[in-house]
Amino acid sequence: MDDNAFFRRTVLIVDDEPINREILGTMIGGDYEILHAGDGAEAMRMIGDYGMTLSLILLDLLMPVMDGYQVLQKLGEDETLKRIPVIVLTSEKSAEVKSLAMGAVDFIPKPYDMPEIIMARVQRTIQLAEDAAIIKSMENDDLTGLYSGRFFFEYANRIEQYDASRAMDAIAINISNFHLINDLYGRAIGDEVLRSLADNLMTELGSGMGVVCRENADNFLLYVAHRDDHAEVLERIVTRMRRTEGIKNLHIRMGVYPNVDHDVPMEARFVRARHACNAICGNLAKNMAVYDEEMHRKEIFSQRLIEDFEDALSQGQFVVHYQPKYSILGEKPELVGAEALVRWQHPEFGLLAPGAFVPLLETYCLISKLDRYVWNKAAAHIREWKNRWGSSLPVSVNVSRIDMHDVDFKDSLLSTVRDNGITPQDCVLEITESAYAGYAAHLVEIVTELRQQGFRVEMDDFGSGYSSLNMLAELPLDGIKMDMRLISNITTSDKARQVVKLVIGMAKLLELPIIAEGVEDKVQYDLLKHLDCDVIQGFYFARPMPPEEFVKLLHKGE
Amino acid sequence: MLTKETLTAFGANCDEGLSRCMNNETLYFKLVQMALGDGKLTALRTALESGNLDESFELAHALKGVHANLALTPILTPLATLTEKLRARDGSGWEPLLAEAEKQTEDLKALAAG
Repeated sequence: MDDNAFFRRTVLIVDDEPINREILGTMIGGDYEILHAGDGAEAMRMIGDYGMTLSLILLDLLMPVMDGYQVLQKLGEDETLKRIPVIVLTSEKSAEVKSLAMGAVDFIPKPYDMPEIIMARVQRTIQLAEDAAIIKSMENDDLTGLYSGRFFFEYANRIEQYDASRAMDAIAINISNFHLINDLYGRAIGDEVLRSLADNLMTELGSGMGVVCRENADNFLLYVAHRDDHAEVLERIVTRMRRTEGIKNLHIRMGVYPNVDHDVPMEARFVRARHACNAICGNLAKNMAVYDEEMHRKEIFSQRLIEDFEDALSQGQFVVHYQPKYSILGEKPELVGAEALVRWQHPEFGLLAPGAFVPLLETYCLISKLDRYVWNKAAAHIREWKNRWGSSLPVSVNVSRIDMHDVDFKDSLLSTVRDNGITPQDCVLEITESAYAGYAAHLVEIVTELRQQGFRVEMDDFGSGYSSLNMLAELPLDGIKMDMRLISNITTSDKARQVVKLVIGMAKLLELPIIAEGVEDKVQYDLLKHLDCDVIQGFYFARPMPPEEFVKLLHKGE
Repeated sequence: MLTKETLTAFGANCDEGLSRCMNNETLYFKLVQMALGDGKLTALRTALESGNLDESFELAHALKGVHANLALTPILTPLATLTEKLRARDGSGWEPLLAEAEKQTEDLKALAAG
């Protein structure tokens, strides 16, 4: 063993004959620390004292007081101690089967073989036991006792090897808002819920029908024989767990990739199951989704976009369009700015709106690259419009939440401005309110610095998420942009109208300009004007347009 | 005094016994002396005379194991036969076997003392 140089393993020799103990001890004592016991009872006391620091027990069978079989039985009854390997010392062939059945791993026949043979058996036994212990420790998840993710795939692949034609289902399971269970009930209860789910999954789906693992956190994977009643099984588990765990709102999501295609690699089968599971994330009305053709099509599409992204950037497939912003404070609407909005002119899929790729790029942490690309394009257009038309209209660009955490975010913005020969005052940075969640102090610091550099900063999508009044009080802003979903109902819903009125009133109190986006018709426009909204952006005035069209507006304005 | 030569002349398989002791002659001779002086043969006779077959078997079995490991063939041979008889719970005909083991042990003791 390579690491013998670092420490000497300990071997316990149990034999009532001191001469036999001495001979064996001499044979292997060069490489191991040797302990001696003269009978089973003494052996058990020493095993109790030394525990798992014993690497091996060499055990005689016929001894006074307590014989070797009794020692094997006692070890077998102890979950921990039974992992210490035992080699039985015997001259009786007939004793071998019984000893093996009781947990012995090997035999050393009496009279003893040559020392080299005995040493080799001892070394091999210890090595195997240690390897098995290492494998065991990695094989199972400590909390639930289920397979760990890594071994799960090993076993799933083994099932495949034995019977590649069997109809199987790949399943991903996740507890909705599990962090809330931890937060509300405490970590111990959270762990208990995970254990309970593991037990239920094993009972309902795992045992004898496939393999189950806790991949990480509250994510479980199952590879089980195909069945059609997963929804019922899940319902049973949730009902039972709500009762046993006392969590009335427990919601468990299940994504099923049924009847897996055996040509799809094992890992990819679970990508599909997870995909189905994620498809109902946030939808508490549904607890099960099946991976189907539509999902497959979307997945392939997403995969293509991710694969094509870098080439698209380098080939300039991303185009920046501009949607004008109009001040409606005066009698006539006045062009006061524009928002730069990206489109992807994909060679195969045509012109793609941001909704088709921005969330995807956010998921794959590629959005910062695209943002920088857009900032640069917008800065170049601003420069051009300044040169040709003497325009001083500020242009808004989007800043993603992830950008805020880039260490070179500010420098990158400043160099974009500098390299294009414009000033920070020419730009408005639109940050989303979600950037505030969890990172309030950091966001306040960044926004303060950006404004000191001369950038204007507006809060985008206000009202779309957990809009925080604290955020409005703490963040030094230059404007608030209401989420278009707030606007969409103002002509039909009194409540929506009241909320918009409230937000506008709040902005006025804070002396911040308020911008409404997604304004589509005259009724909405009139209402917003009536409510004293400052700036409007939306189809009512103009759709996002290519720069060459926007230039015409600038020209007209001039 | 025990030497390799005297043990070989006695009939022991010295090379085999020594190799189990990693060719350490001092250890081997020490263990042979221990075997000669441990009193188990006396205990075996007592057990056999009292008809206690279980205890007799255990003692014979233990003696056989030790003498086999030390390769003391002249003592081992009658003990091995006796052990098998006792394993079959045959309590007859033990006297000549035990007597032979005792005689060989005494002979070896004399060699060791000489």
